Amino acid sequence: MAGTSQQAADVVVIGGGVAGLSTAMQLATRGASVIVVERDRLGNGSSGRAAGLLGQLRGTTAATRMLMDGVEIVQELERQADVEIFVQTGSLRIAETSERAQEIVDLVEMGKSIDFEIDHLDNEQVAEFLPYMKTDDLLDACYCPTDGHLQPAELVSAYIKVGRSNGVEYRTDSPCQGLVMESGRVTGVKTSGGTIHAPAVINAGGPWSYLLAGMAEATLPTAALGHVYLTTRPDDNNPVDRLSPAIRDRHLRLYARPESGGLIVGMYGEDTVEVDMETLPEDFDMSALKARPDDLHLAMLIDAAEKRFPWINPRTPMTVTMGIMTFTPDGKPFCGTMPDLEGLYHCSGFSGHGIVQSPAIGVIMADLVLEGSTSYDIEAIEADRYFEMPGFQQRSDIKNRCYQMQASYYGKVEGGNQPADES
Amino acid sequence: MKILVPTKRVPDTDQKIRVRDDRQGVDIEHLPFVINPFDAIALEEAIRIGEQRDSVEVLAVGIGTALYEAELRTALAMGADRALLVEVEDYDDSRGGLDPWNVACLLREIVQREHPDLVLMGKQAVDDDAGQVAQFLAALLDWPQATCASAVEIHPEGLRVARETDSGIETIETSLPAVISTDLRLNEPRYASLPSILKSRKKPIERIPLADLGLEQEPRIEILEMEAVSARRSCQFAGDVDQLVEFLRQDTEATEE
Repeated sequence: MAGTSQQAADVVVIGGGVAGLSTAMQLATRGASVIVVERDRLGNGSSGRAAGLLGQLRGTTAATRMLMDGVEIVQELERQADVEIFVQTGSLRIAETSERAQEIVDLVEMGKSIDFEIDHLDNEQVAEFLPYMKTDDLLDACYCPTDGHLQPAELVSAYIKVGRSNGVEYRTDSPCQGLVMESGRVTGVKTSGGTIHAPAVINAGGPWSYLLAGMAEATLPTAALGHVYLTTRPDDNNPVDRLSPAIRDRHLRLYARPESGGLIVGMYGEDTVEVDMETLPEDFDMSALKARPDDLHLAMLIDAAEKRFPWINPRTPMTVTMGIMTFTPDGKPFCGTMPDLEGLYHCSGFSGHGIVQSPAIGVIMADLVLEGSTSYDIEAIEADRYFEMPGFQQRSDIKNRCYQMQASYYGKVEGGNQPADES
Repeated sequence: MKILVPTKRVPDTDQKIRVRDDRQGVDIEHLPFVINPFDAIALEEAIRIGEQRDSVEVLAVGIGTALYEAELRTALAMGADRALLVEVEDYDDSRGGLDPWNVACLLREIVQREHPDLVLMGKQAVDDDAGQVAQFLAALLDWPQATCASAVEIHPEGLRVARETDSGIETIETSLPAVISTDLRLNEPRYASLPSILKSRKKPIERIPLADLGLEQEPRIEILEMEAVSARRSCQFAGDVDQLVEFLRQDTEATEE
């Protein structure tokens, strides 16, 4: 690659995580020429460290439809790429307080009203499903047999495989160094390998996306927040079947799922670590993030995990995964353009749900770029919903709102049948 | 029983290590530091001994600048009872700190002040990989030593230590006091529990300026220049043996005899 070469494509996607890769694949499948530029390696950011939990029943039908369609897209991908991506373990939500029990009643009612497979389980049934979990304090539980998780690494490689066979070009170690602006619109991307001209540029930069938007003087209200989960190593005394259901315990703020004979346990705590991406070194590698042995968030996670899985403690052999999530003020992503800037399509802010949203998001982004509209109901995820809105423009305000949103994951107890939109 | 655990604060080896442009040290901006992993294993072993026996005191020792307090706090959160920082004003983390001989001399002073029954330390620090301090220290103290321990057992007469050698496991017995250096497979260091982290905030970190030990530093090693190994490794398939030989020749600049 010559340092000053100029190239052209129909679309340049900035960011080789699941959002960018899915979008690139869908665009190429429909005949567009696509170049993906990635600062590091493909899938090496939060996509590579995600748990990938798929809970399809959401607070709105639009969100639920996106996830249910996503499963179909993934099943097609599995056929094309010949890998197992979706592991249908079923999912279990448990309640140990009366408020949480009411949430489950509401959720089951809502699910049944749209013919989604969901039902209550009693403690004995739960214990049968999950012999390694403490169940004697549960007041209620519900089970969704069609849920599970997407395996992030397999998803990434399937997107790449199918994308490549449709002509997508992937350029790794190619950070975006700037955007090309011509008469008020974005028309290309500058990289160390030269400038790539394209009428459409996708900002799928994950935690970096607000900085990429800033290159075009646009404000994208996302914030980067740290997240940590643990994976226990296989333990003969507490075997975790690979098809045992995922668990959500909103009271303890935990999620869990099987992984390679062990258990992934993660937590959306009340507080988290804010990351200012502009302060990280240029060659920052998310996979090198490591928890200190006395990391307070990790200690809180282990403490909560021990309450639900009494065999887990600080000395349990485990791997700790740290990553950075991209949050938005309402926990929903930004998809599409801003009113005053043509050519730059945002696709970011998945707030801990990028893996499972990515299959349908790719279709939506391809619709928006190639057709200008989509049949999906995207009102809730449009990129311009905070455009020029007071209180959502300064970094400090944005960070504060995103931080509050993360803290409210699993935290709030709501009446009515609108479960919070958490994983 | 008192166990002294000397530790070294080193760059996290999972990070990209960059040599500074002047080639006189590594670039420590953005670089997270950790307790040397082998020392963390020694610390874990000391804490476990303390959990299994009555009245064991675990003392973690660090040598460096005030920055070291963060890692000593980690040691306290993991379960050390006390921590001691020997403050060295011109200590340079970016160049691996003091050389092994001076570290051993300094630790001898600490041992003579604290009178531990056992010194447990990593077999080497992962920054300079010297692997000399435990042996120097044992010699300076005229104590028995067991290096590269993969199992440690304390019994009334002393110690039984399994050592990992190239030809298998060697088991040795020794009396106390003694110096043990720990190998990778001795244990897996724990994460600190929430109560332990909170408790550690009240534990003392004693600070001793190097000058107070009455020791002159006598550098025995001079670092002339640092150089980074090539960061990018690539894979190539060799179609046949001839091609493999050709690859090797190119890489090693070997010539045919």
